[in-house]
Parts: sequence; structure tokens; C-alpha cells
Amino acid sequence: MAKAQPIPGLRADTPYARAAAATVRVRADELFAQAEGVLDTERIERVHGMRVATRRLRAVLEIYAPCFPKDEGRAVLRDVKRLADALGARRDPDVQLEGLERFSASLTPEDGPGLQAFMDEIRAEQRAGNETLSAALAALDRDGLRRRVDALVASAEERAGAPGAAAAEAEDEPDHGASYPEAPPADDVAGEPA
Amino acid sequence: MKAGRVPGLDVTAPLADNAERIVRLRIEELYAFHPAVLDVAEVEALHDMRIAAKRLRYVLEVTAEPCFGPYARTAAKRTRDLQDLIGDIHDCDVALPRVRAAAEARRAADAEALLDRADADARDLDPGLAAGLPHAEEHRGLATLEAYLVARRGLLYGRFLALWEQLGREGFRARLEFALAERPQAFTPDSPDSNVGVPHAP
Repeated sequence: MAKAQPIPGLRADTPYARAAAATVRVRADELFAQAEGVLDTERIERVHGMRVATRRLRAVLEIYAPCFPKDEGRAVLRDVKRLADALGARRDPDVQLEGLERFSASLTPEDGPGLQAFMDEIRAEQRAGNETLSAALAALDRDGLRRRVDALVASAEERAGAPGAAAAEAEDEPDHGASYPEAPPADDVAGEPA
Repeated sequence: MKAGRVPGLDVTAPLADNAERIVRLRIEELYAFHPAVLDVAEVEALHDMRIAAKRLRYVLEVTAEPCFGPYARTAAKRTRDLQDLIGDIHDCDVALPRVRAAAEARRAADAEALLDRADADARDLDPGLAAGLPHAEEHRGLATLEAYLVARRGLLYGRFLALWEQLGREGFRARLEFALAERPQAFTPDSPDSNVGVPHAP
């Protein structure tokens, strides 16, 4: 799993919106850099790396939510959450199989058939999870997630460059002081950041 | 568990001031599950605490170093350890019902197969018919796995209690809250060693 990269130039006194732009840019780069080879079930660490990257991106989208246009920010967050769910559909069986293989290796042969039968069920889930993930990766391109994240970054940079405008907007929208979107849709973008 | 809304965030304010508000709320959310998590049966509270720890971890991961005093970085690691440990417990909680269901399904299928072997007019079931049932070889492995998961859950929960107690002894919450009020000094060529936490001006 790749370690989170430091955010260049981030300081305590960095304006919030500027910090948002810098942080989301780096976390988005990390996510999209992890996409290659994630459908290979022999290289399960790739799915893990990408899943962690989605968690990190999701977390910073939530932390900096007030810096982004509300609807666009919420839509991106929802799509990142969907991607995270799809990665989880693959990762969960990956982890279970890894644990079961380790466990199985340490037991007597008499325990083998029961464990193998259970592992067959998990392998079927892994295949289904891979199909879910494949569809989610295709949706990434189709829905232009990268382009929309870049637009959020640009918007935050614009806000950081025009503090008067940002302050005026904040006055117009006093309830927006939240790190999470209010009234999330049914799939609950403000749920577990994982 | 939904994250609480953070009041008072200001797009034009410095990052640290906003991050401090967010972290303070996330700490409160983490501690909202104490003392419920001290009850081994409170599986849901422990699961929610894991999510709260994850939220705290990720906000600290981004903000601890640039925004707060030195303990914030330590707190980020402690929070990660806590999240990982509760995550391992959660894995057991997810796996156990599945293993039990798989075992039960096989027992039920074997009982049905056994009944099929009996004559329709039999007065009782011949024990000899129970030999070589379709899933006979699978029961043992599943029972072993279930026992392992129960024991592992118990061991990990004990470790969780010890870690939680250690965090209390260490003054995790108080020290992190203190660190939130500190701001690192700017790192400049004139003060290469002074990038340490100093109290935030009131």
C-alpha cells in the first residue's frame, strides 16, 4: 500500500480553499495512479492500494467540502464512494481468501474439505466482485470523474484567489459550514469513509 | 454511522482553524462509543467506533503535521492502530455468521439426504444410513474454522480493551486536544530545528 504523499506547501496558515485544491489534487493523482492492474486477482495488493487511495480522496473531499460547489462536490463524492464500494466488493473476498489459505495451511488434512468448500464460495464472490469492479472502472472513464475532480480543484483555487467572493457566498449559504453534504442521497455519501 | 456536521467552517479562514474544528468533533464522535464498547456484546458500537476512528485518522493524516503540535502525529498513528485492531475484530464478526450459515446449510442438506435414504414406511431411522453423507467430510473443517474465529475474536477484543486502556493512561484525548491548540512554527533557514509546536495565540 502506497503511503500518502505529503501535500506540497501545506501550512497551518494556508487558506482553507487553497489547501483544499492542493490536497485534492494530490489525492486524486494517487487514486488514478493506482488504477492499473487492479483486475488481476493474483496481485491483490493493487486493489488494496486503490481502495486506500479512494478512502483518502473521499476523506479530503469531505474535509474540504465547503470549498467546492455543493452539487458538484456531492456528485464527485458519491462517485468516489461507489468506486470504493466496488473495490470493497473485490477486496473483502481477497482478504478472506488470503486468511483462509494461511489458516488452511496450518491444519490437518481432515479439516481441508470443509475449508475448501467454504473457500469456493468466497472465490465465487471474488469473481463477482471483479466484475463489479470492472464495471466501476469503466464508469470512471465514462463519467469523467478525473475531469470533474479537476474542476473541483479549479473551483477551490478560484475561491482561494477571490476571498471576497468566497465570503459573500458563505454569507448567502450559512448552513454550508459542514464537512459533509447535508441530506445525502439514498446511497449515503456521508456514511463510512471507506 | 453518519458523521456529524462541523459547524463554523470558513472557506476564507486558515486551514488549521478549520481542521481544529473538524478534529475536535471527530474526537467527540470517537469517544461517544465509550463506555458501550467495553461490553463485549456491543458489536454495533465497536463497528461504529471503527468508522469514527477511520474518520479521525484520515483528517489527522492530512492535517497533523502542517497544522498541529507534535502529539497530533502520534495520535494519528494511535488512531490507525485502533482502527486496524477493531477492523480485525470486525472481520471476525463478519465471517462468523457466514461460516455458521455454511455449516448449517450443509447439516440441513445432509439431514435431508439421510431422510431420503430411509424407506418411506420405516418405523425409525437406521443409524447405518448416516455413513458417507454428501457433506460429511466438510463439517469438521467448518467447525474448526468457527472455533478459530470465536477464539480469535476473543483474543483481539482483549487486545482492544488493553489498547483502549493504554490510550486512556497515555492521556490520548487530552494530549491530542492540547496539540490542536498548538501551531507549528514556520520552518525557515534561520530556525532549522525549531519546527516544533508552540501554543496557539488566544
